[in-house]
Amino acid sequence: MKARHLVWLRRMSQVAFLFLFLFLLIGSRLPADIYLEGAESDIRLNQPVTFFFELDPLVGISSLLSGQHFTSGWFIAVLVLTLVLGRVFCGFICPLGTLHHFIGWVKPALKGKRQVAANQKTKSQRIKYFLLIFFLVGSVAGLNLTGLMDPMAFLFRSLALAVLPGLGVGAREIVGWLAARDAKLLNELGYNMETLLSPVFGFSNPAFQTAWFMGLLFLTVLFLNRIRPRFWCRILCPLGALLGVCSRVGILKLEKYDDNCTHCTRCDKQCQGAASPRPGQAWETSECLACFNCFDVCPEDALKFTLRLTPGLNRKTDMGRRAVLGGVAAGISMPLLGRLDGRIDKVSDARLIRPPGSVSENKFLDRCQRCGLCMKACPTNVINPTLGEAGMAGFWTPRLIMTQGYCDHTCTLCGSVCPTGAIENITAKEKIEKPVKIGSAYLDRGRCLPWSGNGPCIVCEEHCPTSPKAIYLKQETITRADGKPMKVRLPFVDLRRCVGCGICENKCPVRGLPAIRTISAGETRSAKNRLLL
Amino acid sequence: MKLNTPMTRRESIKKMLRISSGIALSATASLASPLSAPAAKKSGMIIEGVGKTDGYSIKTLTRNVFDAAGGINRFISKGDVVVIKPNISWAKKPEFAATTNPDVLAAVVELCREAGAKKIRIADNTIHDARRCFALSGAGKIAKETGAELVYPRSSMMKEMKITGNRLDGDWPVFVPLVEADKIINLPVAKSHSLSTLTLGMKNWIGGVDGNRWGLHQNIHETIVDLARFFKPTVTLIDAIRIMTRNGPSGGSLSDVKTKNTLILSEDPVAADAVATKLFGLKPEKIGFIRLGQKRGLGTYDLDKLNKKRVVL
Repeated sequence: MKARHLVWLRRMSQVAFLFLFLFLLIGSRLPADIYLEGAESDIRLNQPVTFFFELDPLVGISSLLSGQHFTSGWFIAVLVLTLVLGRVFCGFICPLGTLHHFIGWVKPALKGKRQVAANQKTKSQRIKYFLLIFFLVGSVAGLNLTGLMDPMAFLFRSLALAVLPGLGVGAREIVGWLAARDAKLLNELGYNMETLLSPVFGFSNPAFQTAWFMGLLFLTVLFLNRIRPRFWCRILCPLGALLGVCSRVGILKLEKYDDNCTHCTRCDKQCQGAASPRPGQAWETSECLACFNCFDVCPEDALKFTLRLTPGLNRKTDMGRRAVLGGVAAGISMPLLGRLDGRIDKVSDARLIRPPGSVSENKFLDRCQRCGLCMKACPTNVINPTLGEAGMAGFWTPRLIMTQGYCDHTCTLCGSVCPTGAIENITAKEKIEKPVKIGSAYLDRGRCLPWSGNGPCIVCEEHCPTSPKAIYLKQETITRADGKPMKVRLPFVDLRRCVGCGICENKCPVRGLPAIRTISAGETRSAKNRLLL
Repeated sequence: MKLNTPMTRRESIKKMLRISSGIALSATASLASPLSAPAAKKSGMIIEGVGKTDGYSIKTLTRNVFDAAGGINRFISKGDVVVIKPNISWAKKPEFAATTNPDVLAAVVELCREAGAKKIRIADNTIHDARRCFALSGAGKIAKETGAELVYPRSSMMKEMKITGNRLDGDWPVFVPLVEADKIINLPVAKSHSLSTLTLGMKNWIGGVDGNRWGLHQNIHETIVDLARFFKPTVTLIDAIRIMTRNGPSGGSLSDVKTKNTLILSEDPVAADAVATKLFGLKPEKIGFIRLGQKRGLGTYDLDKLNKKRVVL
C-alpha cells in the first residue's frame, strides 16, 4: 500500500470513529419518542452506548484488576491488534487523539525549526508510564483512579457533562428569546429549534456539580497542543502508555535508509508521537502513534513501514527507572491515603446517595470509572459527580442530588448503561419489589409548612411513589400564629416503605433546603448503613 | 402585547367576521351561526357509557358515547386544530390507572381525524420526566401509531398569561399548546387524590400550567376551579375504564385499581366530575371543587337538571 493511501485511510478511520463516539454520546439519553412494547419490559437505550469503554483496554484491565469485573472481549481484540501492529488504536481509533490531532493539523502552533524541536523525544514522555503504573498498581492495591485520566472516560465526561450542557445554555438563551416573540414566525422558529436542540444538549438545562472544572480541564488539555502537538497522547495518556508497552513485540517496523536521507526534517515536523522517525536516530516504537505521516512526507524514500516477519523485539520502551519506582510507590500509597478520611472505615457522608443498583461502597470504588455515562443518561438529571461526598478516593463518582432531580421509581436506566458494573443492571420489577433502597427521607419539622403551623401542604405525600405510600398524613389541630386552632394534615415517613427516591425532597415547596430531605441511611447496598432490622 | 385570553387566530378571525356580519346582515344572521349554540346547550347533556360484555371494544364504546352526544362533528369541525389533554403526569404503566387509558386516547384521536381535524395534538405538562411519562403511559405509542403530535412540555412553551380567578389572580405560566387550539378535549382519568379527594376533569388543568404548582395545592379547590374556568374545554371525556381508588394520585399497586369500564362525556365540567364521583361511592356535593364549581357558575352537579343518556355495550 502506498503511503498516501495509508494516511487517507487513517484520516477516514479517525473521522468515522470520532463521529461514532459523538453519536453514541448524544445517544446516551432517553429519547422523547421511546415507548414500551411489552408489559414487563424495561426502557433501555437502543445504541451500544458503552462501546468505546468496552474497546478501551485500560478500562478493561483496571476493572479486572480492581473489581474482578470483565467488561467485554473488545478490549482484548484491541490489545491483540496492538501486539501485532503497535499503537494503531492511538492513530486510527481514539477519538480524543483525533481531536488533538485535528487541532494540531488545522493550526500548527509552531513552525520551522521550532516545530522540529517540539517533536523531539523528551524525558517528559515518561510521565505517562508513571501514570500507567500508578493507576494499575493502585487498582491492585484497592483504589481504581484510572477513570480520572483514561482518555475515553475523560472525553466522555468532559463533553457530556461540561461542553454540551455549556453550549446548551447558550443555545437555549437564543431559543427562549425567539419563542417569547409575538411574531408568529420567530415564535415557531423558537419552538422548532428547541425540538432540534433538546435531544443533543439536554431537555432542560442540565446541571452537573463541578462541571465548570471539567470544562476548564478539557480546554487546558486542548490548549496543550500549542506547546507540543498531541501533548496529551505523548506525555499524559495512560492508555497510550499501556499500548506503547504492548507495541514492543509488534511486527510493524519503520525501515530507515540512511543513504537516501537529505536531513530535510520533514518527517520530524509531521511526527505526531515524537518517536524519532529521522534516519540516524533510533525509532521509538512505543512512542509511535502509527499515523504514517513520516512515511508519507519523505520525498527521498528514506523511510518505509514494513512488516517484520522474522521473530524479534522492537526497541525497548523508554520508561525510566524513576517513572517505574514512582508509579509503584504512588500506586501503593494512594489507596492507603484514600482511606484516611474514614469514608469507608468509619462513617460515610449522609449525602452520598448512590444510583439504584450500586454495589457496596468498597466494590463501587473498585469498579467506577467516573465516566459520567450514568449522569448523562439519567432522565431527571439527579445523578451528579461528587466533589468531596465520597472522599478523595471517590472524586467524580456518581451521587444523587435530590434538589436537582429525583430517582424515578420505575427507572433503571443508569444500571443498564454502566460499562463496568459499578451500578448493576437491575430491572424495574426488582427495584420495586425487592425493593432496592437508595436511602431514606426524614422530615425537618421546623421547615415543614403544616408542622410549623403555616398552612396545609401534602406535596410530599402526593408524590410518594410507593404503594402504600411511605409518607402518610395524620390530621391534627395546631395553633396558628394568631392563636386560633387550625386543622392540618401532618406528614410522617414510614421508613419501612421509604426507598429514598427523593421525589418528596425534589417537589417540596420549601426550596433550597427542603423540609423533607433524603440521606443514604437505609440503603440496600450497605449492611452497615441499615436503619431498621 | 401579552396574551390575556386564550384566543387563537382562527377565533379572532371568527370574532371579526361575527362583528362584521352582525353589522351587515342584521341580528338574524348571527343567531343562525353556530357560535350562538351555547344558548341551546344550556339544558346540558351528560352521557355515561358502560362496557358490560366481556372483551368489548373500548374504541367502539368511545365512538358510541360521542354518537349519543350527537356525534363527534358536534364538537370538532373540519380544519380544526384540536388539542387533547390527557392525564399522563406520572411515569406509570396504564394498568395502574394513574394515567389516561391509551385505548381511549387512541379512539378520541381517530374520531377527531374522522371529523376532519387539521392537526391533533396531545399535550400535558407532566410531573415526572415527560419522556418517561410518554413511554410508560402508552401516549408515545399512540402518537406514533395515530400520527397525532405529542407535545413535549418545553420551557419555551410556557408563556405568562393573565388568569383572573378567585384565588389565582395575575400572571401565571401556561402551557401554550393547550390554549392555542380551536378545540380542546379534556381527557382525564378518574382517580383518588390525597388532597382534593379525587382528581377528575377540572383538576386535570393543574397539568396545563407551569410555575410553582405546589403553591396551587395550598388552596386546592379554589385553584382547581380558577383553572377550569380559564381553560374552558370544548368537551370533557372522563376515562373511568379503570379507576384508582386509593394511594392517589400516583398509586403504584394493582390492588388500588378497580375496573369500571365507564366513560363519561359532557360539555359541563362540573356535571362530568359529579357523575365520576359516584363511581367512587362518594357524593358530589362533598367534593370541594365540585361544590365550588357550581357556585362559580361553571356547571351543575344537580344531575336531574341535565339531559342524561346511558350507552351500554
